[in-house]
Amino acid sequence: MAQPLVKKDDDRDDEADYSPFLGIEKGAVLQEARVFNDPQLDPRRCSQVITKLLYLLNQGETFTKVEATEVFFSVTKLFQSRDIGLRRMVYVMIKELSPSADEVIIVTSSLMKDMTSKTDMYRANAIRVLCRITDGTLLTQIERYLKQAIVDKNPVVASAALVSGIHLLQTNPEIVKRWSNEVQEAVQSRAALVQFHALALLHQIRQNDRLAVNKLVTSLTRGSVRSPLAQCLLIRYTSQVIRESANNTQTGDRPFYDFLEGCLRHKAEMVIFEAARAITELNGVTSRELTPAITVLQLFLSSSKPVLRFAAVRTLNKVAMTHPMAVTNCNIDMESLISDQNRSIATLAITTLLKTGNESSVDRLMKQITNFMSDIADEFKIVVVEAIRSLCLKFPLKHRSLMNFLSNILREEGGFEYKKAIVDSIVILIRDIPEAKESGLLHLCEFIEDCEFTYLSTQILHFLGIEGPKTSDPSKYIRYIYNRVHLENATVRAGAVSTLAKFGAMVDALKPRIFVLLRRCLFDNDDEVRDRATLYLNTLGGDGAVVETGEDVKEFLFGSLDIPLVNLENSLKNYELSEESFDIDSVPKEVKTQPLAEKKAPGKKPTGLSAPPTGPPSTVDAYERLLSSIPEFANFGKLFKSSAPVELTEAETEYAVNVVKHIFDGHVVFQFNCTNTIPEQLLENVTVIVDASEAEEFAEVATKPLRSLPYDSPGQTFVAFEKPEGVSAVGKFSNMLRFIVKEVDPSTGEAEEDGVEDEYQLEDLEVVAADYMLKVGVSNFRNAWESMGADCERVDEYGLGPRDSLAEAVNAVINLLGMQPCEGTEVVPSNSRSHTCLLSGVYIGNVKVLVRLQFGIDGPKDVAMKLAVRSEDEAVSDAIHEIVASG
Amino acid sequence: MILALLFANSEGNILVERFNGVPAEERLHWRSFLVKLGADNLKGVKNEELLVASHKSVYIVYTVLGDVSVYVVGKDEYDELALAEVIFVITSAVKDVCGKPPTERLFLDKYGKICLSLDEIIWKGYMENTDKDRIRRLVRLKPPTEF
Repeated sequence: MAQPLVKKDDDRDDEADYSPFLGIEKGAVLQEARVFNDPQLDPRRCSQVITKLLYLLNQGETFTKVEATEVFFSVTKLFQSRDIGLRRMVYVMIKELSPSADEVIIVTSSLMKDMTSKTDMYRANAIRVLCRITDGTLLTQIERYLKQAIVDKNPVVASAALVSGIHLLQTNPEIVKRWSNEVQEAVQSRAALVQFHALALLHQIRQNDRLAVNKLVTSLTRGSVRSPLAQCLLIRYTSQVIRESANNTQTGDRPFYDFLEGCLRHKAEMVIFEAARAITELNGVTSRELTPAITVLQLFLSSSKPVLRFAAVRTLNKVAMTHPMAVTNCNIDMESLISDQNRSIATLAITTLLKTGNESSVDRLMKQITNFMSDIADEFKIVVVEAIRSLCLKFPLKHRSLMNFLSNILREEGGFEYKKAIVDSIVILIRDIPEAKESGLLHLCEFIEDCEFTYLSTQILHFLGIEGPKTSDPSKYIRYIYNRVHLENATVRAGAVSTLAKFGAMVDALKPRIFVLLRRCLFDNDDEVRDRATLYLNTLGGDGAVVETGEDVKEFLFGSLDIPLVNLENSLKNYELSEESFDIDSVPKEVKTQPLAEKKAPGKKPTGLSAPPTGPPSTVDAYERLLSSIPEFANFGKLFKSSAPVELTEAETEYAVNVVKHIFDGHVVFQFNCTNTIPEQLLENVTVIVDASEAEEFAEVATKPLRSLPYDSPGQTFVAFEKPEGVSAVGKFSNMLRFIVKEVDPSTGEAEEDGVEDEYQLEDLEVVAADYMLKVGVSNFRNAWESMGADCERVDEYGLGPRDSLAEAVNAVINLLGMQPCEGTEVVPSNSRSHTCLLSGVYIGNVKVLVRLQFGIDGPKDVAMKLAVRSEDEAVSDAIHEIVASG
Repeated sequence: MILALLFANSEGNILVERFNGVPAEERLHWRSFLVKLGADNLKGVKNEELLVASHKSVYIVYTVLGDVSVYVVGKDEYDELALAEVIFVITSAVKDVCGKPPTERLFLDKYGKICLSLDEIIWKGYMENTDKDRIRRLVRLKPPTEF
């Protein structure tokens, strides 16, 4: 592998291996190409030179513009030769050189002559070359010939024209679309390949015309399609038609399903596969529809051909994500694939099994996987680790064996990404499964005893500092942490010192011993480590006696820095050494930039160390810090929920404003994020005048204006309202942006002294019931439902009136309640007449709520719903019913 | 789209490489990735036994034929099954041109004919011809027999 990329022209002295291209060199070959200009052409010699040119090109060699032009002009001379073999080479060479528009003209006449030649094969090749190098203008000249060629009785000529059409459709669609009739005729051709190419082209021409595609599919599924390749295309187009028509069917019978099912018995494997995949990918496929497809895929699992095994297991793996039960029949075949030579197949088999396995098979599966893990690459291992993490969350009772598995593989060799995946998984399991906490923490402790990755060590130490003191016997972790101070680099040592301090702060009984350890760290040879030890010894206080640590110290140790790091960095840069020491309180706490909400990666699940514990996302933390730093809002209590930003202006207006609704027990704070998009203006004293006349229960209590809003530098202004505590008050607010505008001189950037007061109308804003609900999922709805009990259950039925579809009705109710759909029940199978949807959430006042919605739809699309609510408080259960009743 | 077709000798040196729709700066990466894939997995594999891998949304089917290894890379409609068809056509055509699974020397001796065959099989990323007899005739500019 040392030199895999060198060209084949390396010196090789082995005579037997003598290469015809030995010592080949571009310059020399270009010299040789001069033979193309000889008056007496030697076809054999010319062919050899073209072969050498092809060899160079096929190895990634490139010709400069001048070289390519020169070769191209010489090659065109070869059209004089009547040698057939040479002519074939010339065609390839011209395509490879892809001459520029102004050069094409040189060969056009020769190729046009070939295109009208009596020799069929000249025609076919000339079409291919011309279409490759032509532009729109030339195309109109030769269009007539191409249309003829499509229906030529020689299949090679017809195919050449059709495939050219497929390529030309990208560049000259309006021309190719005119060939529809000829292509339609070619679809009926008796030559299998012509039919295949014609079908592909016809579909591309008509792909935006739903009706035409539908007609095409309808006629072809009834007739016979000759080549398996064309049959595969037909299956693909058929699934497209099914997808698009699914919403229009009311009868429950899926159109064309019988055709797909019939294809499962085709003699060509590729057709069987295509049909099986099409069936598994049908929208809202039922188990009855799935069964025949799964059966054929199962047979392929034991095929002798790796490609078929791979294709089958890949398809089943996808099915297992949505219909795990349908795949369980294949589990035995799948288990035998764990030992498959091909690691891609084995990994797919394992991850499928992990999705379909039941609680009782977990142990057996883990045993098999253990043997398998040692001989696959890290990238596959990561996939397996992630699958095991999901499995453990699915079967929390199995945490012991799964956690053991993770800790075992953690001890084995592996790269950073792999180790990080394992550590992340353990951390998530510790957070989600309380019983797994102690053993998980010990596994992590053992890991840092021999961990080569500083990043992971410090992250684990940080995590230990937070979770360790809350365990039944915190002292057992101290040894592992203190060992780091002896054995690791400065970064890890500093991390360990901080962790020790956290134990000292939280566990009073340990404090004296922690003091002893911290004092030893005062002699460390690294500044940071010594500084931290000194700092903690002073802040913890009490001189090592068993005393309770003050709340402010805990806040200092566990709270996060409530200043945006950017602001701190800027202040430090601006700080000049002087008598006066740097004052951290002088750093502005306002978040200068707006992207608080945008930072939230869309759709990304929280993973491991870098993510907060389950519950509110990290943006809430940031919001909480921001709000608590504003004195007017400091006594509002704990922030319950912050909404996603709601735009109050259209895109690309002078001022862009969006609002985040912050919900507290007895207050609501609107955070208006404002951006000034006019470079010539500076806005000052920016406020939003909120009119709450349509929100009776709200009373304005505070406003925090934004002092200055320069161009393109977002800022915030706040308005706070009081509302009855614990009540989910709703209402509508109209908003007006008010400010003083000052002209800015664009050359100097300085603003004029005098400004003018101005206003700007914003869109209305609503506080709705869903704002009082946190989306918090449960991993096992049934368990949660049963353990909640029926004490505070409220059940009632509602008529939702006529709706477009069942799915639309389900979505409307989910949005109205603002709760988290569980177990994928927000997806409504397209043909179903009834549906059950499970929701979970936390209502204001931290009350857990579970909702079971049963929908039914009758003929004229009238939707009825049964709503069952369970919560920890019957008033809340009633409140949920009220929301639905009034929504 | 068939993104790449690559032939390499047993030491991983490139004999033929053709890319379609792959930016120039990514080609070197693909070349070394494929050669490494072959070095890791092709030892002891029988002639024309197809191996398969997937890398992100791209599929790779590869095999050994005599002294040379063949790789095809595809995406979208050219999934592992379609690529298996493509590589089957390619290996059949190469065997046909060489008369047997080629040694490296034989492959290079027949290089011109092989290039012509490939030109008939893949056209700018799409499969055009699938039958080796037909390809053999087309390379010599002879009409297919069934005609």
